[in-house]
Amino acid sequence: MPETGLTFAQKVLARASGVTRPDPGRIVEAIPDFSYSHDFAVYAIDAFERMGATRVVRPDRVAVCLDHIVPADNRRDANNHARIRAFASTQGLRDFFEGGTGIAHQVMFERGLVTPGSLVIASDSHTPSGGALGALALGVGETELGFAWATGHLWIKVPDTVRILLEGAFAPGVHAKDMMLHLVARLGVLGAVYEVLEYAGPAAGSLSPSERFTLCNMSAELGAKTGVFPFDPTTAGFLRGRALFDYEPVHSDPDARYSRELTVDLSALQPMVALPGREDRGVPVGEAAGRTVHQVFIGSCTNARADDLAIAARILRGRRVHDGVRLIVVPASRAVMTEAARAGDLETLLEAGATFMPSGCAVCAGVHQGVLGDGELCLSTSNRNAPGRMGNKRAEIALCSPATAAASAIAGVITDARELAVA
Amino acid sequence: MKFRGTAAVFGDYVSGDTILPARYAFLDPEAMAGHVLEELDGTANERVRRSEILVAGTAFGYGTGRESSARALRAAGVKVVIGGPFARMFYRNAINNGLLVLDCPALVGDGVEDGREIEIDTVSGEVRCAGRAYKVPPVPDAIGRIVAAGDLVEYGRRWLRDRSRENADA
Ligand code: SF4
Repeated sequence: MPETGLTFAQKVLARASGVTRPDPGRIVEAIPDFSYSHDFAVYAIDAFERMGATRVVRPDRVAVCLDHIVPADNRRDANNHARIRAFASTQGLRDFFEGGTGIAHQVMFERGLVTPGSLVIASDSHTPSGGALGALALGVGETELGFAWATGHLWIKVPDTVRILLEGAFAPGVHAKDMMLHLVARLGVLGAVYEVLEYAGPAAGSLSPSERFTLCNMSAELGAKTGVFPFDPTTAGFLRGRALFDYEPVHSDPDARYSRELTVDLSALQPMVALPGREDRGVPVGEAAGRTVHQVFIGSCTNARADDLAIAARILRGRRVHDGVRLIVVPASRAVMTEAARAGDLETLLEAGATFMPSGCAVCAGVHQGVLGDGELCLSTSNRNAPGRMGNKRAEIALCSPATAAASAIAGVITDARELAVA
Repeated sequence: MKFRGTAAVFGDYVSGDTILPARYAFLDPEAMAGHVLEELDGTANERVRRSEILVAGTAFGYGTGRESSARALRAAGVKVVIGGPFARMFYRNAINNGLLVLDCPALVGDGVEDGREIEIDTVSGEVRCAGRAYKVPPVPDAIGRIVAAGDLVEYGRRWLRDRSRENADA
């Protein structure tokens, strides 16, 4: 067989492992360029210490950001946080972000810690978010993060890559989240298992870093190893004055071999709602319309950036949240909240009746705060809706964009935002 | 490696959050074992604790990357998870906790019943259950080494020890 070019993922892994031509399926030992964790770092620390390790390899390339259980919910969690703080300081980790700074994925993104062409690992399944900036960002377990801190390397299976060609432009009222709910429904929760989703095509360049983040983030919901947006002028612009490490963008060769190619016509999409139970149960909002909602959550790493809050604010301006609905808004980071405050969106949301919680995973993680009652439905801008995800398996979760969430919060039932006249 | 025992059988799309909800993620192993899979139905927890071999349907452990689901299964005494196809992070986390994960979707497709006797030989790649034979792909070296060591912590401990010895010799 003639040698073809290499994909982005192969190239990053080739550099990080020293294997010149890592073929898909092969397992390589790679050296990550940057790693991070959150509250679950305690398990990485545990593993690190049980291995008998004393010094973190390249502590200047490690960060921790508390986000899952902030502020601490009980003595155990508070002690876990204290242990992480102590570890970060003794080991001289590059950064420790206190609870309230934001969701780790968002914080690494906005602070310039995730850079193009780098191999990033973090102990969380939504690490693929970093693909928005052209990194190969892989979720790993806590024990293996501890292993990487102790030894400097990690085993990684070289993935196949699926090319997703984006065409056309979103119709008004249709957003990046709708595109992902469509794609997950089309391919299923294991639709791209072990594969990398490379977003390309004529429309890719028109998406903002925040929209790219949503797409890469929810690549995890297809079982993908990660998602990536090739580096382009948008990436460069976003990182100017922000990137904290020197970087070298990496692109797939023109003759790289992809396992598949899929096309998504953005202009043909409608607002989507993933019905309760599984992320691939997405239907056009019309098919879910009219269902009573008890809680609306605008938050999580998927959709709680400044543009998301602005969309929600535009719909909620001058309106009131329905009496039967609790609207909980959790900006993805303090920086996002500050930006939304400057833009006046915070005020709009508060006036409409939103309740704010500190920046973090909040309701999404299902550990504390915002837990649902039996038989309730939460309409959420997050990425997961398996039974029990928000802390009560007798409650249900449906997923949607911030626009659908805001419109439904006003109506008290699942509603197509395009039906509300927005000035 | 060889395994023999009765199978605890679970269906498709059991998410990692269902295996062990996040609110139990910081319990000690014994307490975790008491909660593993209890969200699923009334007998699931008891069944999984009775068997070393768990037969899992499509996407078992999908969703969350929290390692607690694998940790909880280990605490419950599970040694092998067979079936699939599996979600990537569940696969990694299980291996790193010393649980062998074997791809054998045909086993699930044939509708193996709970409590059936099952035999697995990872060297020959043969699996026997209910009078039928199945094949599982060979375990890659990098993964076999971790499981053989016990888990990734033990593997890491040896790796560090060997490395410091090499350095001392050099
Ligand atoms: S917001 Fe939700 S999906 Fe994102 S990192 Fe936190 S718990 Fe995970």
